[in-house]
Parts: sequence; C-alpha cells; structure tokens
Amino acid sequence: MDDRRLVTPRGLTRRSLLKRGAGLGAGALALGAMPSFLAACGSSTPSGPKELKVLTNQPPDPAPPGVAEYSEEAFAKWQSDNAATVSYESIPYTQIHDKLATAFASGNPPWDIVYMSGWVPEFSKNLATIGDMISAELKSDLPPSSFKTVTWDGKIQGVVFTLSLMTLFYNTEHFEQAGLSEPPRTWDDLLRYTKELTRDGRYGWVNNYGAPEGIGGTANLWMSYLQQAGGTMYDEGGLPIFNDAAGVDAAQFMVDLWDAGTEPGSISYVGIADTTNVFTAGKASMMMNWPFMWKPANDPASSAIAGKIGAAVLPAGAAGTASIDGTDAFTVTLASKNPELATKLIEFYLAPEVQKRQVLDTGWLPIRLSTLEDADVQAAATNAPIVLEQAKAPYDSFVTPDYIEVTQAIGTELQRCIRKEKTAQQAITDASDQVAAIIKAR
Amino acid sequence: MTFDGGAAARPTGRSYLARRRRTGTLLVLPALAVLALILALPIAASLALSLMKADTADFRFGVFVGLENYATLLADPVFALALRNSIYWMVVEVAVVVVVALWFALLLNHPMGRWSVFRIVLLVPWALAPVANAVLWKWIYNSNYGILNFLGTATGVLPGPVVWLGDPALALNALLVAEIWKEIPFITLLLLAGLQNVPRILYRAGRLDGAGPWQTFRFITLPQLRTTILICIVLQSIWALKSFDLVYVLTRGGPANATTMLNFLAYRVSFQFGNLGLGAAVADILFFVMFLLALAYVRVFRPARAAERGAA
Amino acid sequence: MSRRWRARLRRTGILMGLVLFVVWTLAPIVWALISSFLPLRALTATPPDLAPGNFTLDNYLGVLSADRDLIGGLRNSAIVASFTAALALLIGSSAAYALARLRVPGSSKILMLILVTQMFPAMVIIIPLFIVLSRTGLTDSQVGLMIVYLSFVLPIVIWVLKGFFEAVPRELERAAAVDGASTMQTFRLVVLPISLPPLFATGVFAFIEAWNEFFFAVILTQSNAKTAPVVVAEFSGQYVSLYGQMVAAAVIASIPVIVLAIVFRRYILEGFVEGAVKG
Repeated sequence: MDDRRLVTPRGLTRRSLLKRGAGLGAGALALGAMPSFLAACGSSTPSGPKELKVLTNQPPDPAPPGVAEYSEEAFAKWQSDNAATVSYESIPYTQIHDKLATAFASGNPPWDIVYMSGWVPEFSKNLATIGDMISAELKSDLPPSSFKTVTWDGKIQGVVFTLSLMTLFYNTEHFEQAGLSEPPRTWDDLLRYTKELTRDGRYGWVNNYGAPEGIGGTANLWMSYLQQAGGTMYDEGGLPIFNDAAGVDAAQFMVDLWDAGTEPGSISYVGIADTTNVFTAGKASMMMNWPFMWKPANDPASSAIAGKIGAAVLPAGAAGTASIDGTDAFTVTLASKNPELATKLIEFYLAPEVQKRQVLDTGWLPIRLSTLEDADVQAAATNAPIVLEQAKAPYDSFVTPDYIEVTQAIGTELQRCIRKEKTAQQAITDASDQVAAIIKAR
Repeated sequence: MTFDGGAAARPTGRSYLARRRRTGTLLVLPALAVLALILALPIAASLALSLMKADTADFRFGVFVGLENYATLLADPVFALALRNSIYWMVVEVAVVVVVALWFALLLNHPMGRWSVFRIVLLVPWALAPVANAVLWKWIYNSNYGILNFLGTATGVLPGPVVWLGDPALALNALLVAEIWKEIPFITLLLLAGLQNVPRILYRAGRLDGAGPWQTFRFITLPQLRTTILICIVLQSIWALKSFDLVYVLTRGGPANATTMLNFLAYRVSFQFGNLGLGAAVADILFFVMFLLALAYVRVFRPARAAERGAA
Repeated sequence: MSRRWRARLRRTGILMGLVLFVVWTLAPIVWALISSFLPLRALTATPPDLAPGNFTLDNYLGVLSADRDLIGGLRNSAIVASFTAALALLIGSSAAYALARLRVPGSSKILMLILVTQMFPAMVIIIPLFIVLSRTGLTDSQVGLMIVYLSFVLPIVIWVLKGFFEAVPRELERAAAVDGASTMQTFRLVVLPISLPPLFATGVFAFIEAWNEFFFAVILTQSNAKTAPVVVAEFSGQYVSLYGQMVAAAVIASIPVIVLAIVFRRYILEGFVEGAVKG
C-alpha cells in the first residue's frame, strides 16, 4: 500500500488520529485501525498475469469493449500482448456513484479503473494523475475542452471516451405540418417555434426538470442557457459569479419556454429517459438531448417517430450557441497497483480502431477528433457533424468537488422559479448565496 | 440448553421458575450475539460520526467538531421541511395501513374470504422487487403516458391529465399511495395471524349475549388484537420513517424538496454530498425520533395490558 | 324476514369488500404484467396501444438472454433468503419465547434494545458495515449478506413472535410442566405447534425481506453474490431505461416468492386448535 494513504490531507498522522479517535467510542477506534490492516494487505505480491479490475457502466450506457459488444478480438489481443487479464464489474449508472463513495470511504476500493461522470473533482484525492502518462498523440487528438471535467487542481485525472454533449433534436414531421422549414437558430426562434408547435394535444418543448442535481439535472441544463447568454459559473478564485444578467436571463428563458409550451410533466421527469419517451412518442416536437439517443430514437421498436428526427446545434442566446458536457470518462484509482498498465488499457479504449467500432456498434460517438471526421463514422451517425459543430462552442458542465451539492441548490431554486414561486432574479440570487456558502464550507 | 429430566417437576415451585429463567437467558443470547456482532460497530460509528467532520474522500480521518453538525441542521430550512414531511408521511401511512390492513384481515378471516387464492393475492404486492415496484409506479403516475391519467380522463374522473409528481402536495401523497399499497400485505398478514389467536369461545360467548357484528368487533376482536396492533404500529412507524425507494426513483426528493424526508436527506447528504458527518447527524436525529415514538407507544399501551392481566 | 335481508346485505357487503381488496391489490400488478409483454413504443402512446399484434415475448427473451445474470441472481437470492429465514425463525422464536414467558431479567429493556438496532437508517451504517465485511472477507459473499439480513429481520421476528407467545394460555404450559416436560420441550411441542400463523408470517417476512433487499445488496456485492433485485435494477440505466425488460425481470423474480406462498398457503389461516384453548 502507498504510504501516502496513511497520512491525512490535513497532515495528521495515524497516531495522532488514533489519539483523537480514542474518545469517540468503538466505531472510531476500529476505523482508525483500518490503515494498518490495509498496509498488511498490500504486502502480498501478485504472481502470474497482472489483473486489472474495472468498474464500468452497463450497456446500453457507454461501456468499454468486453462489456459492450465491440472490438472484442482487439481486446483479447491487448490482454495477451500485455500479459494482463481484465475483469469487469459492470453496474447500472445510478449505482456507480454510491458504490464509489462507499469503497473510497472505506479506503479499500477494489478497482484499478473506474468510470466517472463528473465526479473527478469530488474523488480527486482517490485518483491517480494519469495526465502525464497518456501519450501526446492521444492528447492532441482529443478536444481540449474534454479535459475540463476530468481535471482538478491542475491535475488531469481521467480521459473522456465519448463525445457527449447536448444538441437540439426536433420532429421533422411536426415542423412540416407547422410550415417550419429549418431548425430554430436563436432563443427568439425557439420561443416562437415552441408556441407554434404547441397544438393538437402536443407540446413544442419537453425537458426533465424533476431532478435538480448532477450531470443532466435541472441546474446542469440551465448551465447551457447560462453559457448561451454569455455567463459563467465561477471566477478565477472559484467563487460564484452567475448572479448577473446572464444568469437571470438563462433562468427567465427557462420560464418563458415553459409558458410558450413546455410539456407540463417536464417538472416531474427525473431523467432524460422520461423526456425522450415523450419526444419519441410524438407528443413533443423539440428537446435537447445527448447524441446517443439518436440511435434508439430512430429505432421503430422504441420510437414512433423513427426517421423523422432532425438535429441542430442549440439555439443561440446573446453570446451564441453553447451546450453542456455529459462527461463519460475513465480514471485510475490511487489504490491501483498497476497504474501504468491501467493507463495503457484506457489508451487502448481510446485507440482509433476501438473508437470507430464504439460508434458503429454501440452508437456512442468517439471522442477522437480524427475518428469523428471519419467518413464511415459520419455516414453511420448522421448527427455526428452536428455534435462536432456544437463542440466548437463552449460546453462546460462546471464540475467541482461539491458538484452535486451545488447543482442540488441551484436546481431546486430553478424548480421554484419554473413553478412561479419565485422570480428568476430571486431564484438566482438565492442560489448564488447558497453556492457561496457551500464553497466557503468546502 | 437445559433439560429438566422431568423428575419432581413442580410447575409452581421456585426451581421451576429459576430453571425457566436460566433457559430463557440461554435462548435470548444467540439473538443478542448476532445483533451485537453485526450492528454494534456500525451503530457506534454512526453516533460518533455525527460529532465529526468527515467526508467520503477521507472518511477514516474525521475531525471532532462537537455538536456543529447538529447546529447546522437546526439552521437548515431543508432539514425542517424534511422533518415535517417525515412526520406527515409516518402519521398518514401508519393510520391508513393499519386501518385498511385490519379491514382486509377481517375480510379474509370471514368464512367467505377463506378461499386460498385470496391469501396468495395478498402476498403478491409484497413479493414484487421494491426497485421494480418504484419504477412501475413512476410509469403509472407519468403525466404524459401514465396509465392513471389515461384511465382517469377516459372515465371522466379527471378533467384532464394531472402532473402527479410535479405539484408538491400531490407528489408527496402520490408517493404515499404507492407506499401504502406495498406495505399493507405484511400488516394484514400479521393481523390475520392475530385474529387466528382470538379464542373462538369468546365469540361464542358474545353471540350468546346477543352481541351484533359491530359490538363483537369493538368488545371482543379489538381488545384481543391490542398487542398485535401495537406491534404493527411500532414496526410500521419505523418503516415509514425509513422509506426510501419510492422517493429515490420517482422524485429524487423534489419538486423543490416537497418529497424530501429525513431518510432520503441522510442519503443525499452522506452519499451525494459526501458529507458523512452531517448525514450521520440527520440519521441520528431520525433515530431519536423513532426511539421516542417507540417508548411512547409502549407506554400508551402498557397500562391497559397490565389491567387486563390483573383482571384475568 | 328483515333478519334474512340483513344477512344478505352483509354478505353483499363482504363480497364487495373482497372484490375491492382484489382489485386494489392486483390492479398495479396486472398493469405490470401487461407492460411486460409490450414494446416501449406501445407503452408511451396515449392511450397505450394494446393492439393484440403488439404483445410480444421480447422483453422476457431479452431478460433471459441479456448479459445480466438474472438466473444467478435468483440462485443467490434463494440461498440467502432461505438461510436467513430459517436462522431467523430458529434464533428469533426461541428468543421471543424467552422474552415473552421465561421471565428473563430486564426483558423489556432487552426488547427495546433489540428494536433500537432497527432505528438507524441504512445510509449511515453501510460504510462501517462495508469496512467490517471487507476486513473479514465477507463482501460479495452469500454468507456476508445472510448475516447482515439476519441482523435486520431478527428484531422484527422477535417482536412479532413475542406478542403472539404472550397470548398462549399459561394453562397449556403448566399442564405440560405437570406432565414432566422440560421448558424446551414445552416450547417445542406445545407452544410452537399452536403458533403456526405468526411463525409463517414472520418466516415469510424474513424470506421476502432477504429476497428483495436492495440497498445493502448493491453496495455489499460485486459479481459473485448479486441478488435478484440488484439484477432487476440493472435494467434501468442513465440514458435508456429498459422498462419492459425490467418489469419482465421483476415478474420472473417474484414467481418463487409466490410459489412459496402457494405451497404454504394453509399456514396463513390456521391457528389455535379449539380444543387446546378450551383445556
């Protein structure tokens, strides 16, 4: 075991801690004794092929070869070439964060590589800095902004493996019926379109405002409008500066969009799947969605509007278009005994050929710019050019160590303002105060 | 284990009682040992944690902060709302579950209700995996494509689609209905077992005295079920305060915290925010509420039981 | 005449009550069953598209062929739940009897202490518990889950059974003692046989709780000891929720519990032998 693990970030030694803990009863005592146990564990020497344990999403959410069905031969070859065996624990997305939290808290995470979605800053202390280990070739082929969500304190601790940022999806049939020939380009267009498309028991817009927190939650959605309006979340010192005209405009735009014809259930939908169901049933004409949904939305088994979907960049606010980052990334734990090998495996996941099969076989867009430009890829994922164009504009999700707490606070205030319990200005002011308090307590 | 051998056993003698007591202690020990082995450390840790500043990234290295976490909670409006929601939830759930379960138990105990299919029907909601149950209700309540709104509007009961989970008051009560539906079977089963234990001779005596169905229920069934009902209330109160799945799947505590209850708050603070100290403080307050409740219930029911015994 | 009318009225009332009971209890289940045979597109339509052509076994086939190991989950659940229920009944019934009848010193305090262990939300005990289990090598094992579940169901079993044992007429025990039965024999041969409904109720409780428990199973298992509800939950992802498959999996996972209920159904409604009470 790494010696650093025996010293707290605050510089306390284990001994002083045990002293402190002594008064706190059996629980604290036994917990204080944990590190020595862990140290004992680490002394056993591994023999034979090296084993890498990977915690990952389950398909159809984004997953590596060996879990999802693609590049399986290449994956087998990688294992034999590197004298390594890779064992997966693949679990649903909703369970990953809590499982990570428990394992990291216990000090004994069993994995070498873990999937992360915006939690890198939160678990930064538990992750290896792999930025220096990944090849320059790979780094230069990834969009620089893709590193924003996996970097904390200047350390790159993960690699995003799929280009996942929100774009506009719209129902081409509804557009034709309403005489609309092209997608909305600006906020004003979007409001006007929403009003015009809200008829015959359908709604112009649908979104999921039910869960305030996390990637894809209410607050995260608002961040796309915030950037479209020219605002940002934090200043150089990490303090909130979103309580300005842009922040309020963004919230007000969500309210205006609500009044113009947002599907009323939107306030209760807690996930993108709920929202997509309304869109693919043909009961709402437009939504913002992740690129992956392109495939199921065009599958006749799950969608009533297969083949009738258009994609476009998100409508522009005062500062142009902007989006938010879905940030599906791989990281290496600090507990890993083979961090170099683990990093090599991540590089394999991002190899051009694997990236290409990823999109062709599973629908998840590659993150490599060269693969995105590939003709086969563009032919198979017809929305890829749109996503690529969207990626040229800002798409920050502003992740921080207290991301869930921050987004919980902002998202809850936004729910209040959408429900007309508060004005946009009040909601943003209150949210800003809460976020400032959260950061102060960090 | 003690074996009495049977020689010179005098049922009312002192040695009889002493032997029973000794056997009794031996019989209780395994249960206490299991509980102590598994839960003593986690419970002690949760109590200790509430006095510390500790987060998931460095859980083992918490710093003692005294009552700071509790002070933070008392000043937090979300905590106050969660406490209110929890109490409302518990009161309604316990009352409705016990009353409806009692009614169902009486129906199933009636000669017409003794068909074995009814007993299997009773267990079905309970057998459904809780996560699937929560997702099932999420779909039932969906305002756009949910079956509830469709049936409601098709039959004219609802004037139009209702956003069940979008309105604070509606959302909490919608969750309650799903929870109550899931919780009724076990309580019914317990009360049914309680009804089985009422000596038939009492009913016969009642009939001879010319008691009607209501009087039989009021003066024979209900007093005989007293202990069972007390147990149902105590257990259901604890479970109501600990309910989690539905909030987690259907509303995530929203809209605007309308369905946030203490148990969900403890989860959110501990796991989502990573603030284990504060989360433990929420949990320990929840524990305290339950503890007081259990004491109160037992006290309320005790004098009557003693009186009953005295009369017997 | 009026008496017969009243009796008929009462019969109708009870019949209506029973109908209401069945409808209330089964309506959501029936909808779950229907949705498990429909594709997503038919379910999100308004009204739901129940055309016969839409009904399909795809969800079930998908569940059984998916990489998610539902069969393995069912096996783990069965093992964990049976052992939990058996141990809970064995340990719990004797403790309950002792606390109800054998005048164990401080029994009311012990009862309260036992209940107190159930008053701590899972969220705060899970991390220390995880540490304890990983120290002893019991994470991701059936034994680990079984011990944890035992500690959750034991208190309930004890509380419930204690209430019922208290209602057993003392005369029965005295009579047994006079006949020369030991305390254990009295318990085993006299008290237990007349307590079948509560024993059944608590046994079923222990079984179902262990069968269906989710939160601890998610955190404490990795791949070897995954139980059925964990596998069922795996059909709900971030971007896509395979609702039909999830319900289908839940239906499959409920079947063993329902079979159990069918096998043991008579114990739900069998209690005191009348003669015993008269004696």
